[in-house]
Amino acid sequence: MVHAFELYVAIGIAFAVAFVLRGANRIDPSARTGTWGFRVLIFPGAAALWPLLLVRWLRADSGTGSETP
Amino acid sequence: MSVGYQAVGWNRQKKLYDRTLALGVGLYLALFLAISAAVNPNATAETLVIRAFGTGALLLLHVVLAIGPLCRLDRRFLPLLYNRRHLGVTMFGLALVHGLFSLVQFHAFGDTHPLVSLFTANSRYDSLAWFPFQPLGFVALVILFLMAATSHDFWLANLGAPVWKALHMLVYVAYSLVVAHVVLGSLQAETCPLLTGLVGAGLVAIVALHLVAGWRERALDAEHAGDATDGFVDVCAVDDIEPERAKIVTLGGERVAVFRYDDKVSAVGNACRHQNGPLGEGRIIDGCITCPWHGYQYRPEDGCSPPPFTEKVPTYDVRVTRGRVLVRSEAHAPGTPVAPAQVHAMGSRDA
Repeated sequence: MVHAFELYVAIGIAFAVAFVLRGANRIDPSARTGTWGFRVLIFPGAAALWPLLLVRWLRADSGTGSETP
Repeated sequence: MSVGYQAVGWNRQKKLYDRTLALGVGLYLALFLAISAAVNPNATAETLVIRAFGTGALLLLHVVLAIGPLCRLDRRFLPLLYNRRHLGVTMFGLALVHGLFSLVQFHAFGDTHPLVSLFTANSRYDSLAWFPFQPLGFVALVILFLMAATSHDFWLANLGAPVWKALHMLVYVAYSLVVAHVVLGSLQAETCPLLTGLVGAGLVAIVALHLVAGWRERALDAEHAGDATDGFVDVCAVDDIEPERAKIVTLGGERVAVFRYDDKVSAVGNACRHQNGPLGEGRIIDGCITCPWHGYQYRPEDGCSPPPFTEKVPTYDVRVTRGRVLVRSEAHAPGTPVAPAQVHAMGSRDA
């Protein structure tokens, strides 16, 4: 259980790095001109909610989902 | 508003708010540590830090929960609401320090993983009086983390308003867990009932404020029963609306903000697109309806935010006849231009 939690957090941190640099821009056009401070602030949320955001990012890349709900 | 996200949209009010908050938190921690050290000279520094940050977080959580109903009851509390998310994030920061110090102090020096120890060190889950209180605080901390981590407008826009709102309503679950955490911890560890009494008083105050504010809201949600002609409902006299302000009425099950400004009357949906703030409790500033919560703006004539912003709220047809305001109960799509009704027709005193 603890190992599963640690794995979730580790994947989340790795995902969040990619998300704040590229993924956020893909799912929300307003993020393209977002500041570095904004990207730092959304990092913890991206690490925590990575499964949801991964799905949104994949949908945005494949053009099957709306960019913002 | 939705153009190029920043970390914080700083302005003079927010800076003043945050300086006051930082000063208040710093003073509280310093006073608590100094008084506790004087009263309890045998307490370790870690224990004092755990208590100072824990009680500080608890106090701020009460303030955060009280602000909403207080603003519903009295507009003078609105400045507190303006930057409430910074209060919430600060409260989480204090709770995090409390939690980390507690985890290290009580669970980090054994053979068991600290998180496992947190849930298994006390296994009396079948006892009410000796129920393990630390896991309750941990779950509350996880909820507060999720709220703090998703407090930026980016999350509101990308999780969607219903999910974001549901997530942030979990603050009441966190509050319940925190109350149980503090009361159980206090009863199990201490003989002085002061903390338990204060938490009880805080709980009563929070529940009472929400009940009173909810009672007032019920009256607002009563469907307006004025005469309807051609779908138009008589909602009030023009003079019932203060200049540059609005009257909120309920039509077709929706709250509508009817604004009077520049000898004209316009009506828009009452819910701000940002966080559902009550536009009708705001006022007209620089020709725009301005949300009292965070300053989002909309033009009264078409419900659109001024460029480059893109938010839109529904608009309603309005007439002014013999000093009475009539509003059609069916809304137009958000952003639809609607000619304002003139309060005084050209060359006369009453249209």
